[in-house]
This record gives sequence, C-alpha cells and structure tokens, in this order.
Amino acid sequence: MFHTTFYVRRLHSLCGLLILGFFILEHIGTNSMALAGPAFFNGVMGMVEEIPKPIFYSIEIGMYAVPFLFHGLYGIYIALQANNNPLRFGYLRNWNFTLQRWTAWFLVVFLIWHIGYLRIYLKGVLGNPISFELLQNMFSNPIVAILYVLGMWAAIFHFCNGITTFCMTWGITKGPRAQNVISLISMGLCAALCLATVAFMSSYYIY
Amino acid sequence: MAEKVRFIIERQDGPNDKPYNQEFDVDYRPGLNVVAALMEIQKNPVTVDGKRVAPVTWECNCLEKVCGACMMVINGRARQACCALVDEIKKPIHLAPARTFPVIRDLLIDRSVMFESLKKIQGWVELDGSWDVKDAPIQNPYTAQTAYEISHCMTCGCCLEACPNVGPQSDFIGPAPTVFSIFTRSENLTRPNVLTRLWKRAALPVAATVKIASKFAPNLSSLQLTSRS
Repeated sequence: MFHTTFYVRRLHSLCGLLILGFFILEHIGTNSMALAGPAFFNGVMGMVEEIPKPIFYSIEIGMYAVPFLFHGLYGIYIALQANNNPLRFGYLRNWNFTLQRWTAWFLVVFLIWHIGYLRIYLKGVLGNPISFELLQNMFSNPIVAILYVLGMWAAIFHFCNGITTFCMTWGITKGPRAQNVISLISMGLCAALCLATVAFMSSYYIY
Repeated sequence: MAEKVRFIIERQDGPNDKPYNQEFDVDYRPGLNVVAALMEIQKNPVTVDGKRVAPVTWECNCLEKVCGACMMVINGRARQACCALVDEIKKPIHLAPARTFPVIRDLLIDRSVMFESLKKIQGWVELDGSWDVKDAPIQNPYTAQTAYEISHCMTCGCCLEACPNVGPQSDFIGPAPTVFSIFTRSENLTRPNVLTRLWKRAALPVAATVKIASKFAPNLSSLQLTSRS
C-alpha cells in the first residue's frame, strides 16, 4: 500500500525548506546589493538578465513556479485542517504553529500581488527590467513599502519556523533539548534576516 | 456565613440543545476541589438567583487523577476536575464540557471516538495465554522508560481538546491514540503494521502538533512524543 499522505507531507516539507528557502535567501542576498547603491544593484540585476532565456525560464518554472504552487496549494489544505487555539493554550510551539499558518495566508495574498505585478505585469507584459529606480519609485508609497516589509517578515518567519519543524518532521531533532536548540537558532536567524530586510529596504530612501 | 465560591457552568440539556450558562455558589472549605464542589451543587442545585434547577451532570470515578473520567474545561483549559483545587485556580471558576467530543448533557461528554481509534490502531497488548518470564525479550531502558510513560495515558482526552489538528475538519485521530500505537509497537509487542495503518488513514499530521499536546498531556510530561512519530 502506498501511503500518499506521508510522502506528500515529506515532499511539502522538503520543497519548502530547500527550494523556497533557497529562494528567500537568494532574494535577501540580491536585494542586499541595494545597500551598495543603485549602480551596483542594477549591475547585479543585469547579470541576472544575462542568463540565457531558455535556462532562465526552465529555472523559473521548474524551480520556482511548480514548487511554489505545490507548497502553496497543499499548504492551504494543511492550514484548513487546523483549528488554531493559541489564546487558550498559549505555549510557544502552539503560537509558532498558529503563526506558521497566519503568515502562510498573508503570503498567499502577498505573493499573488508581488509576482503578478512585478514579474508578470511589469517585467513580462510591459517588458520593463527590474531596476533600482523602478523599485525606489514603487516604494516611495509608504504603504507599499510597509506591505513589502511585512511580506518579507512573514516569509522569513515561515521559513525559519519551517527549519524547526523540518528537523522534527525528518527526525533530525528527536528530543526536546535538541528541538529547543534548533528553535533558538532558527529564531535567531529569523531576527537577523528581518533586520537585514529593514536595512536593504531603507536603502531605497537613502540613495 | 461561610465564604462562597462562585461557579459559572456551561450547561446543555441534551446533545442537540443550545448551551447556556448558570451560576452557583458553593461553601468554601479547605482543600475543596471542582469535583467536590459539583457534588455540593448536586445536593442542592440552586442557582445564585435562588432558582432550583436540574442538577449538573458530569462524570467522575477514581478522584485521584488516574481514570480520566472527570476531564472538563476549567477556566478555559482542559484538565481533570478531581485535581483542580479551588485554592489554586482563578475565581469565579468557569466550567465547560470539552467540545472536541460530542456533549451528552452538561459536562458529560461522549469519548467513544478515542476508543474507536484505539481499535483502529489495535492499541492493546495481545496476551493469548501465558508464558515463562525467562524467554521474554530484553527491552532497552529507553524503550522501557518510554513505554512506561505512555502506559500512564488514561485516555482522558485533554490532548485532543488542546490539539489544533483534532476536529471535524481533520481526520487526525489525536495524540493519545497515536502515542498508544507507539506503545504497542515497542520492541516486545511488535505489531509492525500499526503505524503504517495510521499513515494509510492519513491520521498523523505534523510532529509539531503532537509536541504541543505532549506538553499538555497531564501524565506524560517527560515523554518525547515527537521522537517516534
């Protein structure tokens, strides 16, 4: 008997941590280039543009679109199975469990907006390359900037808490002590990445 | 006049009736617990408004935290009423049935779903006859310790009430029957297909959930439920 749920959940966990996790780190890395100024950032963006289109599109579809859709759609199914009760049972892991789902809901909406506007509309339909000036113009609206920071924070928390749950799901951290250590490390990483987000977002107001 | 303790009880006349609240005052005495207070209310079921009402229905048995029958929601948390000391909890004391389970009447709930789950996972030890002790397989201390902890589980249902993944929206059977499948799987009670059966039924969600419940299970505080799930 093939136990679908078991394997689909493992795939969900693996795809979230490795592929989407890499994607978040890549985003933070690339966007941090904005700290070095518009010229440097546009140079990095230009390097991305130089990747041959067939390879670029294969990566976008195979590495991003498909895993995103799978993780998102199956994630919605998982989120709908929980009846969150952090106010009644306010343990740390219960809060993280709830926040994992709340950040996920926010990200579903945020990513539809983010990918739909920047990647599909501006870059795909209008053919505008993503540049420092374009982002600076977009973030000149403080509401957009705040929503983007919140989107990044949600994604970072979801990813970092995902590290903790990945280690549980895959049996890497078996006992409570190991789980607490990983939880502390991943929350430390979460704080660091959140601060990095604020730093690179502020560069659009500095330059 | 003795000091009074106020109880706000969520009552329900039948399985399909609407719940409503009623308030009762009980004379304070040292060492009073929720079960003893409910017994006082049963003797004299008069609300604070002086109205005589039907006595509150609830369930209890051992009165020493080993049977699990008196599990109810006390001040928002699922726990055993027999060890809920009035001195130690916030007043007025709110009592409600654990609504993860079907409510029969007042605080009395139908927990048979857990026993159905234990049947599904074959959560029992097969002892068809008796054997000499000398040939018993040797169990390592960690497994023995784990099995001993799990054997404390009294199927009270606290963990199902607390677990966010248990409910009509999900087919997760809940932490207690899940952990029992680990117990019956421990080395000398090998029944290899028990956990695979669980997977087949899509009954085990993320380990994180079980971890939450393990913190909450009244008698299983030191158990690492995530370790085998």
